[in-house]
Amino acid sequence: MSYMDKSIDDLRKALDERKVTSDALFEEATSLAKQYQSLYNSFVTILDEKNETESNSILSGIPYALKDNISTKDILTTSSSNILKNYVPVYNATVYQKLEDAGAVLMGKTVLDELAMGGTGTTGHTGIVKNPWDESRQIGGSSAGSAAAVALGIVPFAIGSDTGDSIRKPAAFGGVVGFKPTYGRVSRYGLFAFASSLDHVGCFARNVKDVAYVTDIIKGEDAHDMTSLPDDHKKYTDTLNNDIKGRKLFYIKEAMEDHENSNDAELKETIHQFFQMIEKIKELGFIVEEVSFPKELLNAIYPTYMAISCAEATSNNANLTGIHFGVRGEGNSIHDIMMDARTKGFSELIKRRFVLGSYILQKENQEKLFKNAQRIRHMIVDKMNTLFQEYDGMLMPASGGIAPHFGEKTDQLSDRYLILENHLVIANFGGFPSITLPSGFVNNMPIAINLTGRQFEDDIVLNMAYKMENITGCKDQIAKGGN
Amino acid sequence: MITKEKLKEYAEKLMFDMKEEEYDTLLVEFDVILKQMDLIGQIEGIEQVEPMTFPYEIEHAHFRKDEIKDTLNTSDVLKNASQVECNQVRVPKVVEEA
Amino acid sequence: MYVPTIGLEVHCELKTNTKNFSSAANAYSEIPNSNLATTDLGLPGILPVINEYGVKQSLKMALAMHCEIPEFMTFERKNYFYPDLPKGYQITQFDQPVGVNGYIMINVNGEDRKVLIHDTHLEEDTASLDHYGNYSLIDYNRAGVPLLETVTEPCMHSVEEAIAFLEALRNIFLYCDASEARTDRGQMRCDVNVSLAQEGMQELGTKVEIKNVNSFNNVKDAIISEVRRQTEILESGGVIAQETRRYDENNMCTYSMRSKEDAIDYKYFKEPNIPPIRIKRDWIEEIQKELPTFPYERITKYMEVYGLSRYDATILVKEKEMAEYFEKTLDEGADPKAASNWITSVILGHMNKYEIPITKLFLTPKMLVELIELVTSGKISSKQAKEVLHTSLEQEKSPLQLVEELGIKQIEGDAEITAIVNEVFAENPNAKAEYQAGRTNIVDFLVGQVMKKTKGQANPAMTRKIVQEEIQKG
Repeated sequence: MSYMDKSIDDLRKALDERKVTSDALFEEATSLAKQYQSLYNSFVTILDEKNETESNSILSGIPYALKDNISTKDILTTSSSNILKNYVPVYNATVYQKLEDAGAVLMGKTVLDELAMGGTGTTGHTGIVKNPWDESRQIGGSSAGSAAAVALGIVPFAIGSDTGDSIRKPAAFGGVVGFKPTYGRVSRYGLFAFASSLDHVGCFARNVKDVAYVTDIIKGEDAHDMTSLPDDHKKYTDTLNNDIKGRKLFYIKEAMEDHENSNDAELKETIHQFFQMIEKIKELGFIVEEVSFPKELLNAIYPTYMAISCAEATSNNANLTGIHFGVRGEGNSIHDIMMDARTKGFSELIKRRFVLGSYILQKENQEKLFKNAQRIRHMIVDKMNTLFQEYDGMLMPASGGIAPHFGEKTDQLSDRYLILENHLVIANFGGFPSITLPSGFVNNMPIAINLTGRQFEDDIVLNMAYKMENITGCKDQIAKGGN
Repeated sequence: MITKEKLKEYAEKLMFDMKEEEYDTLLVEFDVILKQMDLIGQIEGIEQVEPMTFPYEIEHAHFRKDEIKDTLNTSDVLKNASQVECNQVRVPKVVEEA
Repeated sequence: MYVPTIGLEVHCELKTNTKNFSSAANAYSEIPNSNLATTDLGLPGILPVINEYGVKQSLKMALAMHCEIPEFMTFERKNYFYPDLPKGYQITQFDQPVGVNGYIMINVNGEDRKVLIHDTHLEEDTASLDHYGNYSLIDYNRAGVPLLETVTEPCMHSVEEAIAFLEALRNIFLYCDASEARTDRGQMRCDVNVSLAQEGMQELGTKVEIKNVNSFNNVKDAIISEVRRQTEILESGGVIAQETRRYDENNMCTYSMRSKEDAIDYKYFKEPNIPPIRIKRDWIEEIQKELPTFPYERITKYMEVYGLSRYDATILVKEKEMAEYFEKTLDEGADPKAASNWITSVILGHMNKYEIPITKLFLTPKMLVELIELVTSGKISSKQAKEVLHTSLEQEKSPLQLVEELGIKQIEGDAEITAIVNEVFAENPNAKAEYQAGRTNIVDFLVGQVMKKTKGQANPAMTRKIVQEEIQKG
């Protein structure tokens, strides 16, 4: 009898009826993790021992995985970077502490793109993460290992972080649910910062209710995070069954148009299926309409994101010098040891991003580069908020296709505007709650829809997604590699 | 005009070095992003918009009371430092000026 | 002739329980790396959370310096790499600091001057480095300690002015209880900007910045030596380079640290973890009400209303507690000059001798007033009063009690004194003859004899008068 492919409700029931112990669940999760490790490489660390706090929460005794950029006291936390390959934190991230307090059982730390700065799952210091549906393909990133671990049925849920699309894109490529709540809903204390104004903590699971269970545990105001939101005193699992009749959604016309004349068959099929899904969603009682969004703003999403995220990242990671933590560099002067630590500690992609970010922040460039990017961010968020006055959510394909093969897509900056590949960032610009829901298959690889709602209305987004999940046929699915 | 030499200078200020071919890639990336940023600068009405740092106006930010807590043990402070002497982090002599 | 123009940037550590952005103690410790929270160390994943009291004290200082307070306060990052900066950036204020466009009044050689404040902003201190043979050791304890940096306009033109400003600023810190402002502990440090211009020229010369000067004396010497250096260059037809220099106190000269070309671009940008903070107007009003009367205003009042000298007034206001003590004696009805005299002489002497603050003094303002009244009513002499005050402070007994216990009184009866004077004449039969022979100073001797006999209790003025009358009788 295996359990780790089950939902949280089922696991809770089995534990409460004493059909299984949390020790056995931990044992199953860690053995599965070890079994899949050589093929998919989801984990930086698989724990040998279980640490469980007494609790009567829904998650008590249930194993889960944490992205390795979340601080765990006495447990190696590398951010998948060589410069931190020996770093053992002395404090717990708030999200980890909350899960500990709820009795959830950490079983491992998952691989990410180095310092969460990437979208391929290929840049971690311990090697590439492979897609559980087809190991010749990427799972996407940066929360690559967390997405893969849930898709493989190693754990029922995993924690990730999302700065551009780092939960919602790998969720789409892995055929699982990925949710990024409103900015500030979950404390960032202990999340290794990439771009503070865009960083979010969120989670993966195989169904919406499980995502709601986890979010209910990890959300809340935190005295350690000045940007954390006051409690909304809601239990999202309680509102999942609310009526959605008359809820209005929109999709962006321009995002679809660009590809109409493309001869990319996968893209065409993805869009085709998206429109089929819209029809089914309408049958549920939703109203779905097409709206126009200024094309120049859509085209500006990616450079705007690059400018802001790289600028903040270069400053956020200036603490990585190997002096009082991390791998110490060699040399005879303080300058040399810092140079050596950073030269050896970062991969090429990271360095390129830092140089770019630093250039953007230079005194003479700030107005034209950094501040203009922040202005565009403002315009895009304003436009979204205007649309949200009429609509309850934005519904879009999560990606313009299926998970790419290794070598097909890199993180090198390109001048091709790919709106369908970049629109998820809008939710980071405005801190909007945003969820990716698996919705079908193209060429035997999962595709997904994404639903983004108004700021602070996490409950409504989860409620709408919960209803949609019933018609996708993808609820609780386990990747081929995990069967 | 961005040159390879300039990029090396920037990298040096960020305390790392890169391989020659990496600078070539970076040069191409600079070209791409700067062109895109030029286009952005031409978007109508941009000059009237306030730069946005936070996803929304955060009005709930709270202060902290001036009470001592969360203090780390000295051993934890030094736990990840590779060279420690007399409870302090040891580094090669610092002679440069801040 | 060249006229120097001086601007100052003064960093002062704030007195708080905890650090600016973490809950670790803001306290000096002998044990390295013992007062730290995760945030001070810049560990991955940390976030800053602002100390309310630090903000309040900064606002108090800004108000004391007559600054404008912005509606929203923001924090920015100043980015640079240095081993004493664990995060790789310092959180400071750049766009909307706690106060802008203020001023402090100072007095230089009796002349009032207004020193303009460009801004005052809240930031954090760095770790400390200790240097040994071929290595350095880092103690992070100081990292994150709140600092208030006050930046003047380049508006001072002499060493005296600069020092008077620093003293005035330190007094304001002390009066607000915002800092101990001790330069010997590095709690107050200064960057000094100096430029020279031809006399009569409006345009300022090239600015040279002298970094991190750590005592008022060194500020003085640094300015003097820098003005001399620049004067020599200009007089020999040279050009001043825009640069950052450091003051070497052993050789009493400045030396170059880096030129303008090497200036660091700090890439300031808004700290994305600290939202703009609305400074509520009622909070400002509340703080405004807590502001004490500052030395400059007190000195003016003491001189104009109480008729004290600037010298005495300056001594009295040096510490807020002393000024308050003085003012309480006035409330109790003391004559200002008498109170000032006693405080600045005997009481201050006692405090200095035993290194006790005025707040710990046994003698209350009321007791001092009682003593003063004993003198003005003629019950005891000034000389006796001085003795009583000394004894009172030493033995911790009230002056009234002492006067009674020791039987100290002034003999004022005409007859009583005349009787003793006669005794003295009887004991010195040649006195009158000597006086008439021109030895007039024998009067002093005779008065002294009377005082001796009465153990100093005879009223000296009256005794002298009677001796004079008696001796002139011949």
